[in-house]
Amino acid sequence: MRVTVACLLAWLVPGAGHFYLGRRGKAAAFLAIVLVTFCTGLALQGRVYLATSEQPLSFLATFANVALGPIDLIGREISYKRIIFFFPRETDRALYEEILGMTRARILAVTHEYGTTFILTAGLMNILLILDAFDIGIGRKR
Amino acid sequence: MASHFLIMSFFSILVGSFFATLTRDTVREGVKAAALLSLTMVGISLIIAYVMFFLPLGG
Repeated sequence: MRVTVACLLAWLVPGAGHFYLGRRGKAAAFLAIVLVTFCTGLALQGRVYLATSEQPLSFLATFANVALGPIDLIGREISYKRIIFFFPRETDRALYEEILGMTRARILAVTHEYGTTFILTAGLMNILLILDAFDIGIGRKR
Repeated sequence: MASHFLIMSFFSILVGSFFATLTRDTVREGVKAAALLSLTMVGISLIIAYVMFFLPLGG
């Protein structure tokens, strides 16, 4: 139960799993690092990924984004002005054009690729934090 | 911030600090590991960039 709570907290807020397990100093450092990485990504015009069957790797990238928990929702709201996880189908023409336009606007920024890398990295960091909280919780790591 | 080198350096510092915090228990060890990781990442990136300078652009 303790391990499950730690992992869930770690997903909800970066570092919260470590805080729950008594690693308060590390928890604060992790929260700061992940948040700075994510916010820098957004400031550099990066975007969170939308899964689409035309690009299978986009599912992995979306998974890395979603690993950030609720913070990912903020990224989606800023990137697309709505909470959306899948790229809309062409049959939904209005939404398709709107999302495509927002995506293109960000891609045109010089720093877009860097920003997207920062955002993806923040998600991957949080996956490692969840796994680390799990290891500490089961006693594999002291 | 449009300087590629600055962005890369900042990224290296963040990633280096993350892994140092994850793998080290004392602040002193953590700072040393973070500095080493960050500098190594920047150094390797510069070496790769220098090698790629001689490669044809394609086409």
